[in-house]
Amino acid sequence: MQTDFQAEQAEDQPIVRCLLGMLGTDVHSKGIRTIAQLLREAGVEVIYLGEHNSVQGMARAAIDEDADLVGLSFSSAAYVEYTRQLVAEMKRIGADDIPVMLGGIIHPDDHQALYDMGVRGIFGAGSKTADIIAFVRSMGRPR
Amino acid sequence: MGSLADAILAGDRRAAGRLISLAESRTSDARDELEILYRHGGHARTIGVTGPPGAGKSTLVDGLIARLRARGLTVAVAAVDPSSPYSRGAVLGDRVRMMRHADDAGVLVRSMATRGALGGLSAATGDAITIFDAMGFDIVIVETVGVGQSEVDIVGHTEAVLLLQTALGGDDVQAIKAGVLEIADIMVVNKKSAPGSDRMARFLRESLHDRPLRPDAWTIPVLLAEASEETGLDEVIDALFGRLDHNRQDTHMSAIRRRQAAAHLTALADVEIRTLMRRLIAGQTRPEAWQAVLERRSGPYSLAARLFEQLR
Repeated sequence: MQTDFQAEQAEDQPIVRCLLGMLGTDVHSKGIRTIAQLLREAGVEVIYLGEHNSVQGMARAAIDEDADLVGLSFSSAAYVEYTRQLVAEMKRIGADDIPVMLGGIIHPDDHQALYDMGVRGIFGAGSKTADIIAFVRSMGRPR
Repeated sequence: MGSLADAILAGDRRAAGRLISLAESRTSDARDELEILYRHGGHARTIGVTGPPGAGKSTLVDGLIARLRARGLTVAVAAVDPSSPYSRGAVLGDRVRMMRHADDAGVLVRSMATRGALGGLSAATGDAITIFDAMGFDIVIVETVGVGQSEVDIVGHTEAVLLLQTALGGDDVQAIKAGVLEIADIMVVNKKSAPGSDRMARFLRESLHDRPLRPDAWTIPVLLAEASEETGLDEVIDALFGRLDHNRQDTHMSAIRRRQAAAHLTALADVEIRTLMRRLIAGQTRPEAWQAVLERRSGPYSLAARLFEQLR
C-alpha cells in the first residue's frame, strides 16, 4: 500500500499551474520544451505557449489561465526590455502579483536589474533542474 | 461567500480563472459560488470538438473562433489535455494554436488537465461551462483530449459534437470499432490533402447511411477540411449553425438540457465516489487483509465486497 499512501499524500499538495513561453522573435524553443517536460514529470501543470508571443497575449494568458507563475525563456539579447514590457503590462491589467521567472541565456550583470523589476527567479545556463523544480513548486498557492 | 460569483458576473476574468481552479481542486467554497452562477446561465450555445490525437482539434477550434468572432459572437473555450497518471503533471498545449486571439477580449481560453478523469474531459469541465455561460459568452467550445475508442463524455456536456477524423488514423475497421463515431453530430475529415481522405469520407457517409434514424431526426453531415490552411471551415460553421438551429426546437432543447444536467451531476458524483474509494482502500484496509491477498490465502473479491459494504 506504499504507493497508494504516497499518492494520497501528494493529493494534499496544490497543483502548480505554470505558464511557459517565449516573447518576440526568439525561436530557440528546445530549452523551454525540455523544461516543460521536466515540470510535467515533477507534477506541474504547464500551460505551454511556445514561441512568438506578444507581451499582451502573455499577460492575458496569465490571467485567463489562473497561472501561479509565468516562465519566460530567452536566447536573444533583448530580454531586459521584453521583461520590462511584460512586467508593465501585467501591472496594467492587474496581474502583477503573479510571479515571473526567467530562463535561458541571462547575463549575470543583468540579474539585479531584473530582480529590481520584480522578477522572482532567474535560471540561466547551468542551472540545476532540481532548483528550478523546487522554485516552481514553491510558487503554488494553497487551494 | 458569493464574492467570486459577483466578480465573475461583472466580467472579472481573473475571478473566473480562479474559480475554475477551485472547481478543479473540488473545494467546498467553489460549490457555493458555482451554485449562484448556475442560476444565471442557460443562454450559451455549447459545441464539443473531439477526435484522435493529432487530428487537428486545436487548429480547427482556432479557425472556428475566427469565424464566430466575425459574426460578432463571443467565444469561451475549455481545452482539455491529459494529466500524467504518474506525476499528476501535464503539458497543456492547445492554447498555443489559438494565440492569434490572445488580444481579443471577446475570446477566453482556459486550458484544463484531466486530473484522473477518464472520459476525455476534466471533472470540472461542466463547472467551466457554468462559469462561461454566466459571464455571458455566446458560444462555449469544449475541446477534449485526443480520444481513442471510448472517451465519450463530451456528448453529455455539449449540444453539437464535432468529431474530427483523418485518413491517417487507421482503416475502416478502426472507424467502425471506435465508439466515438456514435457520438458525432458533425463529422469532419481533416487534413483532406492526405491520401485516402475522400475514401474515408465516403466510407463514413455509407456507414451513417446504414444506421437507424436518430431519435432527434438529425442527419449527420460528413465534411472535408484542412484546418491549418483554413479550407472547408465555412462549411463546418454552416453545419454547426444548422445543428444549433435544429436544437432550437423545444423538444430537442429540453432533451439536451436534461442530458447536460445529468452529465454534470455524473461528473460531480464520479469524483466524490472515486476519492472515497481511494481513501477507503488506502486507509481502511487492514495490513493483514492485504497480506492475505498477497499470499493468496484470500482473494481480492471478498476484500472488495467488504470495502463496498462500508460505502453503502
